[in-house]
Amino acid sequence: MDTLYQSLVTVNPVTLIAQICNLFLQLLIVKIFFLDKIKAIIDQRREAADKQITEAENAKSEALAIKQTYEQNMLEAKAKADDLLMTAQRTANSRSEEIISQAQQQAAQIKSKAAADIELEKKKALNEAKNEISDLAMAIAGKVVARELNAGDQADMIDRFIDELGDNV
Amino acid sequence: MEVSINGAKILATFENVPIFGTVQITQTLVVSWLIMLIISALCIWLGSNLKVTGISRKQAVAEMIYNALVNFVRGNMGPEFDRYIPLVGAIFVTSVVSNLISLLGIWSPTADLMTELAWALVVFVLITYHKIKASGIGGYLKGFLEPIFVLAPINIMSELFTPVSMACRHFGNILSGTVIGALIYAALTTASHALFHLLGSSLAVALIVTLAGAALLFLGKKAKKKFFFILGIIIAVLGVLAVLTNLGAAYPWLTIGIPAIPSLYFDWFGGCIQAFIFCTLTTLFIKQAAGD
Repeated sequence: MDTLYQSLVTVNPVTLIAQICNLFLQLLIVKIFFLDKIKAIIDQRREAADKQITEAENAKSEALAIKQTYEQNMLEAKAKADDLLMTAQRTANSRSEEIISQAQQQAAQIKSKAAADIELEKKKALNEAKNEISDLAMAIAGKVVARELNAGDQADMIDRFIDELGDNV
Repeated sequence: MEVSINGAKILATFENVPIFGTVQITQTLVVSWLIMLIISALCIWLGSNLKVTGISRKQAVAEMIYNALVNFVRGNMGPEFDRYIPLVGAIFVTSVVSNLISLLGIWSPTADLMTELAWALVVFVLITYHKIKASGIGGYLKGFLEPIFVLAPINIMSELFTPVSMACRHFGNILSGTVIGALIYAALTTASHALFHLLGSSLAVALIVTLAGAALLFLGKKAKKKFFFILGIIIAVLGVLAVLTNLGAAYPWLTIGIPAIPSLYFDWFGGCIQAFIFCTLTTLFIKQAAGD
């Protein structure tokens, strides 16, 4: 049997329809056995990568939160320490002021007491001196004047004498 | 000599088939099925044993192909047309394998206009679908009357000739490759006959040519002249072939190897570039239809 050939350009509906069917069949095969599988793998890989990135970001934000808490704590501790120090300083200041004022008070008390004592002693000494002088004056007067004076005049005269004496002392 | 270039071989004819009448099973169909088998096997092989990490070399290639395809479709059409990735991929791979299978001496299904017309019709249906979807059936029909109604016949023709031009462009390039291949083959056969008829007419001439070639070869090698060396090889080979012809082993020797050089352009380059062009046009036409 002779080999039959189609002419170079022929319209052959059977071939045309068969080729359309072939294309769709080929399309399905390429899609199901190649494209879909590769796509699934690439998607899986992307998901894994996304997951890793999310995890890393979570870890980072967690670390940041921890760091913030730590820093907050540090700040709080510092504030507390400052507070304590300030309170201590204030207490110490007030305490020292108190002590100083107490001491001053005491000193003033002691001083005033001493002054009072001194005054008292002075008065006492003066009175003693007065008495002694009066006695002395009596004796001198008694001897010098040799005259009797009544007690009232005598006392008056002595007081005047002492006052004059005191003013000149 | 006479050069005859035919269409696909008719392998079987069935008469009186319902609906179709006479059905001819041609080489085109049989080779298409063979190509489908090859591509399917390739797909199944590339799509098996996939891993998320620590991928094999095969999977790297498979993913590279996939990414190239996805980038091609997205680059031409944008991400909203991802559902056409399988279609474009199927057309491209079928086209490339069909074009290149002629290198094995097998009839290329793309040298039959019906193959490309089938693809182009599918694309045409998609183009029309997107045009109607974009502007409604009224808008689609009204589009033929623009810019003025007188141009309607021309518009309709240009619409209908989109698939025809797509199919013929691909078909014509592959066919021209086949025709030029056949012409070169025929020319080389004639040249071969003439040359070896001359050289191989007597054993003495053939032997002299062989020896002259060998001498030139040695001289060229000794003097380190590349040109003489290569010329010597060619002449010596021609001489040996002439001796063989003279001894009865007549064969159009020049048709061995030499046709591979133009085939590099017409089959390899042309085959790949036509598949690429067809897919580019497919994506651009569909995008254009949906965009208007």
